[in-house]
Amino acid sequence: MFLARIDGTLNSTRKHPTLASVRFLIAQRLDVEGRASGEPLVVLDSMGAKRGATVLVSTDGNLVRQWLGKTAPARLTVVGLVDSVHAPGRAGGGRK
Amino acid sequence: MRLGIVRGQVVLSLAAPTLAGTTLLLVEPVTALNLEARDGRGGGRQLVVADRLSPGEGALIGFVEGSEAANAYYPGTAPVDAYCSLVVRGYEFGPAAAGRA
Repeated sequence: MFLARIDGTLNSTRKHPTLASVRFLIAQRLDVEGRASGEPLVVLDSMGAKRGATVLVSTDGNLVRQWLGKTAPARLTVVGLVDSVHAPGRAGGGRK
Repeated sequence: MRLGIVRGQVVLSLAAPTLAGTTLLLVEPVTALNLEARDGRGGGRQLVVADRLSPGEGALIGFVEGSEAANAYYPGTAPVDAYCSLVVRGYEFGPAAAGRA
């Protein structure tokens, strides 16, 4: 699992049938200082995460298989909306 | 899954039997800067993505990597580790709350 920030939304008309009713968001993984890093990632969301929110993303493929079926070609899923992060060594006071 | 731009197709002269019927796309992953700029540039290191959706050259796709790429072949198997899950029609992207996270 990792923390990410929701920085966008995405829509698609051509996709694998198992993903037909899924909400897609574009997220950026956060580094230890809370800054966005790496390539943008498409994550599946059923929790209503809003733009700018910090979320917990799971890389568990089993979760997607249970949710959307064994043929679903997806892995990254929002599994939590982050309220706060306590990290005393982190720049900016340690909270998100 | 990551986002990438379709740059072409790969044709094999000899292939593993389980790859029959699978198109292979040459894909350039898109960096955050290029996604935000909408400049048609990718910037990532190219890879080959298995596909059944037939996106055209220049299309933006979402592709899954790892063992989940072979999910689409269940109950069969396929020796693929990247699979085109969706073709992007439109998107909004930009750090709406930069610095807050």
